Amino acid sequence: MSFQELRRAVAASGLQVATAHPPRSQGRTEAAVTREATLVEDEHVRQRAVGSPTPCPEPLAFLDGIQRYQVVGYGSTEPIVGAVIAAAVRERVSGRLTTVAEHREHLVVGRRTAVAGFEVPSGHRVIALPEDEHAHPIRDLDVAVAAIDRARNALELLVAELFRQRSDGWLIVDGSLAESPRWASDPRMIGITKSHATLPFAGPDLVQYLRLPQGHRSSVYQPAPRRVAPVYAWGLRLWPWEGRDLLFGFVRVERAPIAESLEGADEVSRWILAERAPISSGDARWDRLLYGIHSVEEYLRASLPAS
Amino acid sequence: MMDQPGHRSKTPIGRVVGTEQKPTTPHQFFFWTARETPIGIGAIVRVELDDRLVHGVVTDGFAYSDLLSPLHAVLGADGDPGGASEPTIRTEVRLFAAAVLRQTPEEPLQPVPLGEVFLADDQDVVRALRMDSYVEEPNKTGIPIGVYAAGGLEAPVYLDAEFLVGPEAAHLNITGVSGLATKTSAVTFLLSSIFQTFPRAKGSVAAVCFNVKGPDLCFLDQPGALESVDQHLYERLGLTPEPFPSVRYYAPYKPDGINLNSLRSHEALAHNTEPLVWGLREVLDYAEVLLNRDDIDAKADAFIDFLGERVVGREYHDTSLRGAAFHVETFADLEEFFRAIFDYMESIGRGSEVWRTHHIATIRKVRNRLGNISTRSKGLVTDDGEVNDLSWGEFEDRAVYVVDVAGLDPLAQDLVFARVVSKLREHLERRDLGVDHVVVFVDELNKYAPGDGPDTYVRRMILDLSERGRYLGLVLFSAQQFRSQVHRRVVGNAATAMFGRMDADELAMPVYGTLSAATKAKLAAMPKGELMVRHPHFTQPIFVRFPRPAVLQGREGVEQFPPVSQVPFPQAIARRLRAIDPSIETSVVVDLIGGRVEDDVRRALHATERARPEGALAYFRACLGRSVAAEVRDVRPTVRGVGSSDDPYAP
Repeated sequence: MSFQELRRAVAASGLQVATAHPPRSQGRTEAAVTREATLVEDEHVRQRAVGSPTPCPEPLAFLDGIQRYQVVGYGSTEPIVGAVIAAAVRERVSGRLTTVAEHREHLVVGRRTAVAGFEVPSGHRVIALPEDEHAHPIRDLDVAVAAIDRARNALELLVAELFRQRSDGWLIVDGSLAESPRWASDPRMIGITKSHATLPFAGPDLVQYLRLPQGHRSSVYQPAPRRVAPVYAWGLRLWPWEGRDLLFGFVRVERAPIAESLEGADEVSRWILAERAPISSGDARWDRLLYGIHSVEEYLRASLPAS
Repeated sequence: MMDQPGHRSKTPIGRVVGTEQKPTTPHQFFFWTARETPIGIGAIVRVELDDRLVHGVVTDGFAYSDLLSPLHAVLGADGDPGGASEPTIRTEVRLFAAAVLRQTPEEPLQPVPLGEVFLADDQDVVRALRMDSYVEEPNKTGIPIGVYAAGGLEAPVYLDAEFLVGPEAAHLNITGVSGLATKTSAVTFLLSSIFQTFPRAKGSVAAVCFNVKGPDLCFLDQPGALESVDQHLYERLGLTPEPFPSVRYYAPYKPDGINLNSLRSHEALAHNTEPLVWGLREVLDYAEVLLNRDDIDAKADAFIDFLGERVVGREYHDTSLRGAAFHVETFADLEEFFRAIFDYMESIGRGSEVWRTHHIATIRKVRNRLGNISTRSKGLVTDDGEVNDLSWGEFEDRAVYVVDVAGLDPLAQDLVFARVVSKLREHLERRDLGVDHVVVFVDELNKYAPGDGPDTYVRRMILDLSERGRYLGLVLFSAQQFRSQVHRRVVGNAATAMFGRMDADELAMPVYGTLSAATKAKLAAMPKGELMVRHPHFTQPIFVRFPRPAVLQGREGVEQFPPVSQVPFPQAIARRLRAIDPSIETSVVVDLIGGRVEDDVRRALHATERARPEGALAYFRACLGRSVAAEVRDVRPTVRGVGSSDDPYAP
């Protein structure tokens, strides 16, 4: 169901129809912080050459999820947010990607009082936000977006589970494995994080970490226990950054916190380096966005309503 | 018979897409397919959605990936083409453009719906090409032209006889590069198809083919070898692969007047091969053909009319020229007549420029032109009054008449073409040709009816044929390498057009502007045995595959029936007589004509061939007449002089 159809339902319920596109509707943001990590390889952060790019053995799968949301109405002054979230896994065999697991969900998010009078169309799940604070349209919207983020994360977990039921092959996830104990303990999952708002080091270690040359990785470390599950991680430079931004072509790789991950850090880095091509043409994040992940995003975008 | 959309259980091979930049329209749509697809340029597809059924033909194809800029590919490969290893193959799309062939319902005419796309089957092809109005009883007038093939499906394609042979529309034009024999093969196959399937109720039909080069049409009555794929195509089209059962060949003589100027001169093929021989009267009727552009004036016309109406074939008296009447039947007689005029005018001296209102220069010009044809086409035009022409008035249904003019010079070819077509027209107008429809096949049309160049008699005649022939049952099947160089009205009047492999330069001409770049690319690489066909019932050109004609191809024919070399005069006479009576021995003929004047022998032979009597040798002997032995006269004896001893010089 499109957002327009949802708005018609809002109108039919006697509520005020609205059309607003919150500025963060295309992705999540994080606050810039430093959380000291624990090195599990080397005493200080070192820059390690990983060798020539080598494609990962197939089958290799990619997981990602997307969300779209719009304010579709108001109950009094409280925003009613319509959202669609989706996640999918696309598996590569003989170089070609096909979708092997996917799920999507339509949501209506708002304060309990706002959605109470809304005759929500079938096929939508209602997420009623708590009302422990006074209504504030801006804050309420932020809370709604956070709820949609959580729903999307849950959907990604579900899709990963669906995939694991049919395959024990390698799975690259867009984001952190620390979102789930299952992910964090899966020896054949790799997390790729493009965002570096949270940095694991300070001082000389940070210099070594952020000034990695192309084709090099950092020493393996264990991020500070901020999220659900512990993981091993390392920084990897996909593209030369000199003359560009410091974070250009820089990703954080995560794996399960096991010895195999430590031993295989170079090999996995070579796999990821091989995924630089083809470039995710048309995406501003092409320097860090693996084509497989990009393909999942494009697949999901093509099937979600735009308006 | 109406298809019921949605009742078919086939798997869709594509889906129509419509975007703001590429919307569907009532005449065009786009659809995407899987990467592996049987769809290609020329494929016929069916779109179904709800109550609307649309048939289209693929005119273009596109493939592209999600790569926004080639620079991204360079970046991804680190600038090294050889090192470009991409573990994931980019997402790509196969997008096809299709032109609408037919919509059901036809009204209201709407944009093509965004439905599923299916590959056409037999039933779809019939419907898409609007063949349902003429391939089913009771109005069955379909002429098989070939098989549409795509994605493992084959469907026969038919032309409507009423739009091919008339009267609704008529004429066919075929274009293609030389050397592949596609044009000749296609026309030969189509003629065979017409002869086998043209409804008897629509009348009788025959064909007159001009063989203008090589041995292409010289063996239409001989069976050729067919491959299994051809046999299959014949079977699919419901046709019998067989040579033409009734063919007659006409070829002029060589200048010796006895050997045929044709590659079909093998003795085993002589039974249906006749000489094409014309006399003065036949040439004079079409003298305009012989005149070039500068010659065309009222004066020359008037003098030719004078000759035709007052002199040739009549007794002409003019005491000023000579006492005895003129009996002008041959070129020799005509030359005598001209000589008399010139002698007379020289004799009167001053004021001798005009004879009977005709200026001497005009008379000389006409004399030169007429004399020219008898000299340059000595084998076609005889001086002895013998004439052997096509069997006007006795044309047979489903028969082919091949006029082999390949060995004639261009002027004589023009003359033959003009006279034969004009005679066909005359007889069809009078309804006394013997058949109701005649298909005339002419190759090298850009030579006979060029788009530019002089306005010749032949071009005017072809224009007239193409514009008015269908009302008479006179149908033009024409072929050429460069359609763009043929007069627009001639090709424009051809209701059916076929295209074989085309030259890229030719395809670049504006007349092909309606074809898509992909269609042009396909035409430029078209394999032998395939054609693109336009027909009034087809709203878009269709690609078909046709079988090799079941006749001996020219080159193979020449190998199997090698033309006889030019044999000596007596042996040539014997061979010609043996065509009438195979028991005649060469030695008898050689003895019989020994010492005879060759012109007398030719006359006797021609008379025998015309009569084709039971006792051919006896008839020939009678025509020769009694041999008059040369008389050797005694030399008068020398009279001896009177001797004298006083004369010191006496013998």
